[in-house]
Amino acid sequence: MDKRDSFRHNILTSGHRACSGCGEAMAARMVTDLIGPDAIYINATGCLQVFTTHNQQSAWQAPWVHSVFANAAAVASGVEAALRASGKNTPVVVQAGDGGTFDIGLQCLSGMIERGHDILFVCYDNEAYMNTGVQRSSSTPHGVRTTTSPPGRLSQGKHHLKKDVISIMAAHHMPYAATATVAYFPDLKVKVEKAMGIKGPCFLQVLSPCPLGWQHDSALSVSVSRLAVETGLFPLIELEYGELTGVMRLSEQKPVEDYLRPQGRFNHLFASKEGLKEIRHLQALADARIHRYGLLQGESGWDSEQVLQVDRHGHNSYRKTAELDQ
Amino acid sequence: MKPKLAIAPGSSLAYKTGDWRTQQPRYRDKWPPCSQTCPASEDIQAWLALASDGKWQAAWRKLTERNPFPATMGRICYHPCESPCNRNHLDSAVNIHGMERYLGDLAINNGWQHEVIADQFQSQKIAVMGAGPAGLSCAFQLARHGYSVTIFDAQAEPGGTLRSGVPDYRLPKNVLVKEIEAIIALGIELRLNTRVGVDISETQLRDEFDAIFLAIGTQQPRIHQSNDSSIHNVMSGINFLYRLNYGEPMTLPSQVAVIGGGNTAIDVARCARRLGAAVTLLCPQDPHSSHRRQLGTEMPASLREVIEAEAEGVHIRYRVAVSRLVRSSKHLSGIEIARVDQVFDHQGDFNPVLFEGTEEFVAAGLVIFAIGQEADWHGLEVLSQANELEGVWIGGDAAAQPKLAAAAVGSGYTSAMQIMTTFEDEPLLHDEYKKAHITYKQMQLHYYPKQRRNEASVIEERLEGFDEVVKGLSSDAALHEANRCLSCGVCFECDNCWHFCPDAAVIKQTEKYEIDYDYCKGCGICANECPCGHIDMEPVVE
Repeated sequence: MDKRDSFRHNILTSGHRACSGCGEAMAARMVTDLIGPDAIYINATGCLQVFTTHNQQSAWQAPWVHSVFANAAAVASGVEAALRASGKNTPVVVQAGDGGTFDIGLQCLSGMIERGHDILFVCYDNEAYMNTGVQRSSSTPHGVRTTTSPPGRLSQGKHHLKKDVISIMAAHHMPYAATATVAYFPDLKVKVEKAMGIKGPCFLQVLSPCPLGWQHDSALSVSVSRLAVETGLFPLIELEYGELTGVMRLSEQKPVEDYLRPQGRFNHLFASKEGLKEIRHLQALADARIHRYGLLQGESGWDSEQVLQVDRHGHNSYRKTAELDQ
Repeated sequence: MKPKLAIAPGSSLAYKTGDWRTQQPRYRDKWPPCSQTCPASEDIQAWLALASDGKWQAAWRKLTERNPFPATMGRICYHPCESPCNRNHLDSAVNIHGMERYLGDLAINNGWQHEVIADQFQSQKIAVMGAGPAGLSCAFQLARHGYSVTIFDAQAEPGGTLRSGVPDYRLPKNVLVKEIEAIIALGIELRLNTRVGVDISETQLRDEFDAIFLAIGTQQPRIHQSNDSSIHNVMSGINFLYRLNYGEPMTLPSQVAVIGGGNTAIDVARCARRLGAAVTLLCPQDPHSSHRRQLGTEMPASLREVIEAEAEGVHIRYRVAVSRLVRSSKHLSGIEIARVDQVFDHQGDFNPVLFEGTEEFVAAGLVIFAIGQEADWHGLEVLSQANELEGVWIGGDAAAQPKLAAAAVGSGYTSAMQIMTTFEDEPLLHDEYKKAHITYKQMQLHYYPKQRRNEASVIEERLEGFDEVVKGLSSDAALHEANRCLSCGVCFECDNCWHFCPDAAVIKQTEKYEIDYDYCKGCGICANECPCGHIDMEPVVE
């Protein structure tokens, strides 16, 4: 066991084989450390599973089960039902990538929610099949270059739009569905704690930059995820029983170019007239999301500027908010 | 029943990912711009950090390591530290001088005493000539380190120019007196009313002391070429301030002209206003940030002081100089001024060249020249020619062009350190990190909340007397202001590097963090997200 750090468990500890600057490794460590070691983690196939369990070496310091790509939610449903039958209330958490959520795992996930299992499903959304070499998924945004959506004469990268999975989840009339990202740790903490306090199925979509697939400098993973929010392309929202109950407002809206520029997967858009048109399209998508969720309306407070703020001597981050309040 | 398949996975910790990296992070303190520009080289970030934790006395001790005059300098220093403050790129600079004053006042009100930091007393004796900011600063450092120090001063009271040249409305005398008392309380011998060459000889000094520090300041006013000693009602700025500060009752004519563009000229003008005169300030230089600045030089006085002076009704004329004094019989009726072409001649001496045909008359019953001052080396003819190898150091204003009082304090500190080095055969303490400067470009300002600067209030009725114009910060405001410091280049434990490391290679300690280089892959996220620029990325050398 790794006990190097006395301030958190490091449930996803060092020595894993994720690429340098991996946003998913960062996100998974944050989420699991916020939940704690007394939970059972079910992991769909994907980057996270591969890079954490290489050569019979596990980076997990909590009970962890690997399912196949499609059935993580179904395996978790069984684990949860068995725990319930034996009178235990150990939390069950599913971790999956966007492939295991948006595409391959969608059916099992939908069933899990429909049956009302008390499970938190966390999707680490890096917007393509990164583990197998960056193929497009239904989460890949419009205009992105992947190995299966190369820009050329007929299209400027992926032609189709990013699947609005959070709305699909909310349409299940489920207790809690939310989006988060690594750049805003206090926001992520609020959402994980809230989900863990709710009995019933919960869904968390965590945008996790991928330096390999997004082709940005490994040092920029956090900055890029922050810009996804600040431009309005990735709104941070909470939905309860289908209703929008919370948004993180933007203190100011940044142009989408700020987000696109550092990422090689959007490079081709800056090179041609058609590409520039797609940038305007992406800007329109951001504007539409900002309008839809009212990200620039209302009083500030829980906004993109305030949530970023750091304190001298930290936030006591991995202690439960309820303990800190006492 | 024996399990058919036994799997005992090992931990990934066995796999050291550290050898993947080509660059690596390194925690490294930097020297913030405030401290770079502070003439006394105060570690401003360090004492603000202590203050922000409510450790007021520790903050005061940290501050006085370099400057034993916080209450004084917090009031009179023109705070060059604040203009390069990186916070200017977020909202507005930290009110450093207000905080310095707050800590100084707190020390005076609570009677905090300086401490001797040496384990034992040293045998060497040092003489300090001049009880001004440079001399007192030098003596303070030497006394803290256990040396026996004697200060000589020709005046009846210590303080030098701080005592004789700074008006009460900027620095109440009791504040200065208290801070000097605290310095002297370290066991410094103070011999006042003692002039070298009259009361004690240079030879005596050499015999009695192992080292001598000359910080005699500049007490000799520069004479203007048109200055005619046969005319009454012509005075030098420092003489005017001296007489005022030593309590001499003064009555001024209704119109006074002050010549000069420095801070002394502004002090004189503001004092004359308080004595009821209408004051015209004739400044040979250009106003601040003038578009015509290329023609000459900007006036050296502090902009803040100029604004205050104008608010108090001082009438300022720029780019003009005196062509002659106009008298009727023995009395002065005014001066003839003309517009200035250049202020300094080719040798760099103050020698304004006037444009013919631009003359005009300014009525004045008194003219005060505040055009500079020089050191008076009478009685120190031999010592002033000696050097460090002979055990003689020169510091403060006397060593160079007159500068800020804080520069004199810094000069005292540096000289004291050099003097001690010669005794201890140890090199001066070099802080390597002070070479590493930091600008806002290396920082991530979006991690800091925007907060309004806490400004001290200013009294309304100013011309009624010499009451202090600027008030101190309240304790709430001081705490808030201390927390506004961005801690440029110095870790304040925000946890960002710890949170964002994808490889759990940053280990949080009770204080600060450690990087586990066994696992760090060198992605650079910690350095990129460090708000204060404390983390450097350096190449991995095989």
